[in-house]
Amino acid sequence: MIRIQHLTKIFNAGKEDEVRALQDVSLDIQKGSFVVVIGSNGSGKSTLLNLILGSIFPTSGKIFINEHELTMQPEHLRTKWISMVFQNPGNGTAPDLSILENFRLASLRSTSKKMKIGIDNHFRLMVKEKISALGMGLENKLQQPMGSLSGGQRQALTLLMGVMDKTDILLMDEPTAALDPKSAQIILQLASEINKTLGITVVLITHSLKDALQYGNRLLLFKSGTVVKDLDEKQKQQLALSDLYEWFA
Amino acid sequence: MSQFYLTALQLALCLGPMAMGIFISMKVFNIPDITTDGSYTLGATVTAVLISAHFPLWMVLPISMLCGAMAGTCTGFIHTKLKIDALLSGILIMTALYSVNLMIMGRSNIPLINTASVFEQFHFFKNEQLNQLSTAILMVSLLLCFIIYLLNTDFGIAMRATGNNPVMTKALGINNDRIKIIGLAMANALTALSGFLVAQYQGFADINMGIGIVITGLGSVLIADTLKKWFNIKKISTQILLVVLGCFVFQSVLAFTLSIGIDPNMLKMVTAIFVLIIVALPRISGGWVKK
Repeated sequence: MIRIQHLTKIFNAGKEDEVRALQDVSLDIQKGSFVVVIGSNGSGKSTLLNLILGSIFPTSGKIFINEHELTMQPEHLRTKWISMVFQNPGNGTAPDLSILENFRLASLRSTSKKMKIGIDNHFRLMVKEKISALGMGLENKLQQPMGSLSGGQRQALTLLMGVMDKTDILLMDEPTAALDPKSAQIILQLASEINKTLGITVVLITHSLKDALQYGNRLLLFKSGTVVKDLDEKQKQQLALSDLYEWFA
Repeated sequence: MSQFYLTALQLALCLGPMAMGIFISMKVFNIPDITTDGSYTLGATVTAVLISAHFPLWMVLPISMLCGAMAGTCTGFIHTKLKIDALLSGILIMTALYSVNLMIMGRSNIPLINTASVFEQFHFFKNEQLNQLSTAILMVSLLLCFIIYLLNTDFGIAMRATGNNPVMTKALGINNDRIKIIGLAMANALTALSGFLVAQYQGFADINMGIGIVITGLGSVLIADTLKKWFNIKKISTQILLVVLGCFVFQSVLAFTLSIGIDPNMLKMVTAIFVLIIVALPRISGGWVKK
C-alpha cells in the first residue's frame, strides 16, 4: 500500500540551522493496517506524514502508493488516495461554510468540483445518516456553520468527511491533542472502526502512550529522524505501558 | 430632490457588478484585489472603442468582460505563481492598465453620442429614465441569479472554502492557485461589466474614470458586512443581495452629500470619510458594548 524507500528530509540544508528531520527511512505499510507512530517532538514523525501527504517534498528517497510513485507530486493530486486529519480541528473544516457544504466538498475529494448544484435531498439524507451514527446530536444542525461547533465535534466530523469519498489511506497527525479525553476516545474509536469495517489503512501519530498501546496493529517508534522500533501486532500486544515509558526515558 | 436618488439608484445598479466582484475577491477569496481601478476603466474603454466602431452590443458586452477577466488573470497569476503580495500584484496590473487603456482609446476620452446603448434596447415605459432603470434592474437581477447559483454549486462551495480554509481545500484535492486565478478573473470581469454599463450611462469613457472606484465597491461590501453582522446572516445568497443594497446605500449617501450643496470636488473626501465611518463604527460600538 504505502512503500517508502530511503526517505531523507533535510530542512535548511547547508545552513547553520540545518535540521535532519528524517534520515534514510524505509517502510512498507500493508493495506488495511493501523499503524501508530510515536516519538518525542522533533523525531520526524510529522515530517514523514507531511511527506506522504505531499505538503513538503523529500530531499532524497521515494514514496509509492499502490505502486504509483508520487514522491514529487503536488498535494492536491494525491488526494484521490489520501485523506488527512490534522492536529488542529480548525484545519480540517471550513468554519464559515455549513456542515452540509463541508461534507459536500469532502465527498468530491477525488473528483472535480463542477458548476452544478450538488447538494440535493438524497445527499442531505446520506450525510444526516452518517452524522447521526456519531451520537453527538449534530444531525439536525446540518445548516449550521462549522465554526459554531466545538473542537471535538469538528474533529469527529473531519474524520467522517475523510471517508465521504473513497480513500485508501487515512493520515492522522495527533488528531486528539486538542481534545478532552472523552472526545479523544470517540475519535480514536471511530478511526478504529473505519479501519476495520472499510479496510482503510490508517497512520496515526500520537503522544498518548496509552492510546498507542490500545489502538492499532503496528507500532513505530521514531528517534532523531529514524525508526528505532517497529513492532507487529503480536509484539505490540505483549507490550506494557511501562515498556513504552522506558523507551522515552 | 428625488432626482438625486433615482440617479443614485441607477448608478448603484451600474456599479453593482463591480461591488459583487469585490465581494468575490475580498470576502469569498480573502484577497484584497485593487486591480479594480484599472479593469473598470478597461471595461469602459473597450466598450467605448467598440461601440464607436459600431460593433453590436451583444459582442461588446462579452468582449469587455473578457478583457476584465484577462486583467484579473494577470493579477491572479502574479499573486499565486510568483508569490507576490495580492495588494502589490493588483497595484502593478492597475498601473500597467493605465497605459493599456490609453493605448486602446488612443486619447484620454471618448464620447458616446448618438451611438447604440444598452439602455435604449428596451422600451418598457415612455419615460426614458424609467426605461434605463428597468434595464439596469433586469441586468443586475439576472447577474444576481447567476452569481447566487454559482456560489451554491460544487464549484462555488470550493471557491468559498478556498478563501475560508486553504489548508483544508488543498487536502480535499483543490488546486488553490487555479481556483484563486479563476476567482480574480471572475471578479474583474464583473468590474469590467460595470465599466461597460457606466460608460454607456454617462455617455463617455475617460482614462481617469476608474480612479478611486475600488473604494466605492469596498464601501458597498463593508456596508453589507455590517448588515450581515447585525442581522446575523449566514446564507451566502443573502449576503450577495446585501452587497447590491450596500451599493445603493453608498450612492445615496453621495447623492445626499451633493444635494445639500457640498462642493463636488470634495466628493472623494466625503467618500473616504464615509468608508472610514463604516469600518470604524462597528469596532467603536463593539467596544462600548463591552464596557
